[in-house]
Amino acid sequence: MTNIPKNIEPIIRLNDVSIGYKHDKPLVQIPNLEIFPGEIVAIAGPSGVGKSTLLKTIAGLISPISGSIEVCGKTIPDSPKRGKLGYVPQSLGLVRHASVLHNVMLGANAGHNTPIPFIGVCLPSSFAKKKAIQAINSMGLEDKISEPIRRLSGGQQRRVATARTLAQCPELIMADEFLSELDEKTVGMVLKEVTKYVKSSNSALLVVEHDITRAKMMADRLLVIDDGRANPFITEPTAMEVKL
Amino acid sequence: MNDFNPLRKFLDTFFGPLRSWLGIFILIFLFSIVVFDGMVNDWGRASQGLGNLVTFFNESLWPPDWSVLEPRAYPVCTVYPTFMDFTCSTAWIGMVETMKIAFVSTVFGAIISLPISILASRNLDSASFFYEYLTRWNDGGIIFLLVSTLSYLPRFLLAAFRSLPSIIWAIFFVILVGYGPLAGVLAMTVYTVGYLGKLQYEAIEGMTKTPLDAAEAMGLTRFEIAFKVVIPECANDLISQVIFMFEYNFRHGTVIGIVGAGGIGYYINLYLKFLQYDKVIAYLIIIFVVVLIIDFISIKARSYFTEDIGLNRPSWKSIFLPSSVNK
Repeated sequence: MTNIPKNIEPIIRLNDVSIGYKHDKPLVQIPNLEIFPGEIVAIAGPSGVGKSTLLKTIAGLISPISGSIEVCGKTIPDSPKRGKLGYVPQSLGLVRHASVLHNVMLGANAGHNTPIPFIGVCLPSSFAKKKAIQAINSMGLEDKISEPIRRLSGGQQRRVATARTLAQCPELIMADEFLSELDEKTVGMVLKEVTKYVKSSNSALLVVEHDITRAKMMADRLLVIDDGRANPFITEPTAMEVKL
Repeated sequence: MNDFNPLRKFLDTFFGPLRSWLGIFILIFLFSIVVFDGMVNDWGRASQGLGNLVTFFNESLWPPDWSVLEPRAYPVCTVYPTFMDFTCSTAWIGMVETMKIAFVSTVFGAIISLPISILASRNLDSASFFYEYLTRWNDGGIIFLLVSTLSYLPRFLLAAFRSLPSIIWAIFFVILVGYGPLAGVLAMTVYTVGYLGKLQYEAIEGMTKTPLDAAEAMGLTRFEIAFKVVIPECANDLISQVIFMFEYNFRHGTVIGIVGAGGIGYYINLYLKFLQYDKVIAYLIIIFVVVLIIDFISIKARSYFTEDIGLNRPSWKSIFLPSSVNK
């Protein structure tokens, strides 16, 4: 695990949290978890165990059954400040009939453009557009900038979703299997860009990864969710050692 | 031990299917026949219907009187070249007016219905949309009451506009603004808002949830989610519905003229009053042909906005010919 100075506030803090869709059947119980700036944490575990549900709960899309979750200084259900949280869902959440630029601009506007009070619309911002184009270029999609999403391959769509989050420059990136459907060369490229951003901007990356070898390779810490109900959440501090 | 039970066997044979969906459908069908039978007191009248139709058809309807395509006596037709003089006929004038009413009311209806349907869509959480704005002025119990009322208002409005058919709206607007296309446009616009609004909010509610999740996690405002995520994502469906609505309005526009709200229905009503059914059938045939043409154009136009662009788009040949012929 990376050495975190004691006076640094965590980006995510979970205390005795139970998550799930039914109150009488929590999927995952997490006694304690803190994720600090600059950390990359991977969540691994078998299918259907609640990894994606955990991400949705931290994103504020599902209420926790019990316990408290603090994200970027705000306790759920209060949302963090606009643009602080970037989320790449498993099915990407792209606007399929719109262009790559339109999709990435959503992230760029969330991160760098303030909406007009009472109306809620942003005026066009050249800075946000510049950030969006930078993010698209960093994902190697410069020749697809005007293409509608539905005409892109699955792997290209994943890169667009990643570019949308990078253009946002959030404090916390939450990505749900964002490297699947990518070839090894592209995985290396995407991972390099995301890691560079996280380390340089002192933000954090919380990623769900099905492939445990890849999860160990990319993460500073690995959180394994088991199938058991009693205490299924195990922090595995060996990930860094494996990486080294 | 032999556990053969003849009663059980009988029940399984004859009532076993009732356990399946087919059985339920059969029961519903039988029930509808019983209800129908309860409403009809003399089934003998149905047997006379076919005979009446043949007599009516031979004596009054056929052959159609195509003089409806000839120029009216007054005002004098000055169209040149002369083979274009059918544009001075009542059929052409009525048809063009109906088309104009359908076009204008579809455009007005689509513009009005879109914001209402966005507020009516449950997945966009209109309650929090109102809440976001109202809490800027006042944060208290009254706001909750107001928000919960306002969140139902769009659906209530759309249901109210849809609850009356366009012909009743036409009667209402003829009373308000008098005879003519103005009443027709107002009636069709109101109905379009109700009908198209419902189609639109159902399309919005049917969209996948993940773009909304991603947008919400990013912290986009409700307005940004509606106009930068939802409308582009559903644009194809929304445009396709507007084209369908134009086609629908044209078909219904032919009827509203009967109550004086403009269009070809005015002439149909006129000749119905004089019992000139051969002219009425000529108008009906013209309407049928124009509706078919609009229907075909609508299929082609909508195909440009459907999902797999370029893959399943029908050719003109495939629209006009049945699939068995078009191989």
